[in-house]
Amino acid sequence: MSETLLARITTFAAESNTKAVPLRKGETLVEVDQANIKIFISHLLNDLALRHLATITGLDLGQNLGITYHFIQGQETIHVRTSVPKTNPAALSIVDLIPGAILYEMEIHDMFGVTFTGNPWINRKLLLPDDWPADLPPPLLKTSKPAEIRKRLGLETAQK
Amino acid sequence: MNAEQNKPTRREETAGLIEYSTENLVPFGPIHPALKEPEYFKLILEGERIVEVIPRIGYVHRGLEKAAEMRPWVQNMYMFERTCGICSFVHSLCYGQAVEGLTMFQVPRRAKYIRLIIAELERIHSHLLWVGLMGHWAGFETLFMWVWSDREIVLDLVEAISGNRVHKSMNAFCGVRRDMPEGMEDRIIERMKHMTDRAHYYRQIIDTEETMLARTENVGNKVDQETAQKLCAVGPMARYVGLRHDVRLTDPYAAYDEVPFDIVTRNEGDVRALLRLRLDEIVVSANMISYAVEHLPEGPIRVKIPPVIPAGEHSSHCEAPRGEIFYYVRSGGGRIPERVKSRQPTLANIPIALELLKGQTLADVPVVLTAIDPCFGCMDRMSFLDTDTNRQWTWSGEQLRLYGIKHYFPERFKK
Repeated sequence: MSETLLARITTFAAESNTKAVPLRKGETLVEVDQANIKIFISHLLNDLALRHLATITGLDLGQNLGITYHFIQGQETIHVRTSVPKTNPAALSIVDLIPGAILYEMEIHDMFGVTFTGNPWINRKLLLPDDWPADLPPPLLKTSKPAEIRKRLGLETAQK
Repeated sequence: MNAEQNKPTRREETAGLIEYSTENLVPFGPIHPALKEPEYFKLILEGERIVEVIPRIGYVHRGLEKAAEMRPWVQNMYMFERTCGICSFVHSLCYGQAVEGLTMFQVPRRAKYIRLIIAELERIHSHLLWVGLMGHWAGFETLFMWVWSDREIVLDLVEAISGNRVHKSMNAFCGVRRDMPEGMEDRIIERMKHMTDRAHYYRQIIDTEETMLARTENVGNKVDQETAQKLCAVGPMARYVGLRHDVRLTDPYAAYDEVPFDIVTRNEGDVRALLRLRLDEIVVSANMISYAVEHLPEGPIRVKIPPVIPAGEHSSHCEAPRGEIFYYVRSGGGRIPERVKSRQPTLANIPIALELLKGQTLADVPVVLTAIDPCFGCMDRMSFLDTDTNRQWTWSGEQLRLYGIKHYFPERFKK
């Protein structure tokens, strides 16, 4: 079962001009262009019956922001990674394919500032406080320092 | 009414009253001192029925993922254990497994069994806590008292093994920190037998007692398997519609591949199915613990690993009492992780909880929201606004509970 799943993902990745890299037993990483991400995920859902999206992880990759979708079926984990430039962090939402992804996308929007086009709740805050200053950088970027954020929010006395 | 009064107050604006001015809105939450996770739900009502629910979480977001990027690997294990006050062990287990995957070291077999015993004790304790809360919100206080006194048995066992009742701090990378105390086997097996008897007894109560039947049978919007899968439901919320979604079975970790067990699924699709499911799972867990204690292998409990973790990325998932938890770690080859991502089962189950509430009455809200086991109880401050009459009033959680009981059993309030 897992052999065929891996083989099919490798074949499909080759068709979409990308590569499936086996990380270790039971884990595969596929890097997909932002333009092809929805086609690739709908293929995973419909043709490979990979139904369970565990979560979406945001990553600070320096120049780019990585967005990793973790699909799990049995003992196989497929990490589908796409990246968007930090200067224009706009990605396509997959809420129309997987409605359960809505909160995960909101979380990445709060923490990394990525805007997901097509997510109806993307402008609502999920995790950050309502009065989070709009000009503060998103907190999980490597350039955001907790000390600076504390100072900005007037919390530096609380730390001592 | 003058212009000054017509201007919406800040409170109304933040509650979203301007957005939904034609329907009744009940803001739910967010802060309650007894809670682990304050959450805030905007309930939009038409008459007595709920038409839409909008969640707002993050009131206790402490930035653990950011903090993890500044602490050594080992410290993070005990920090992530503090994520939850009930299912604490499974967080350190899942984070530990994710990090262990990056190293070359193997976990000793005895440590795997000890991990299973603690994880299953934790599951029994979490499920019992939840059954007691269901009794409380349904207006059956005796059940709450009984179940929580039985929960003490499990907590005493956990304390005897790990030294702590809640935050066990048992895990270490590639092993556990403490061995099982000697001479505990008979005591654990006897207590697990008792626990099985009690679970059967509570199961009988759930199926026959009038209060529980009225409050749980056919309560909760029915969700089919397709919807549950699309909403990425995990744990009991997936199993109660018949999906065989359980990480212990599909991707065995610790010693789950060596201990015989079968998962429980149901398909009635109401709140009572969740009660039956969790009580049956207590029996399954008790049997697993007895088996693991009897077959505990000899050998070392821990392998010491260096503080520097090789570069790479790895993910791990485990079955917490509330469902699948997921950890993703990324190492740059140093003493500090580059990125740790943790996803808790409650976040994954919020979309299905919103679906479950649709079409239900306000009186059922405490029961249905407790049913998903979101550590929810943040109802101690609810304000109500009837937009037709502009009448505004506030209810405490206790008042809402009484309202629910009165709705179902008005005769109890007649003198």
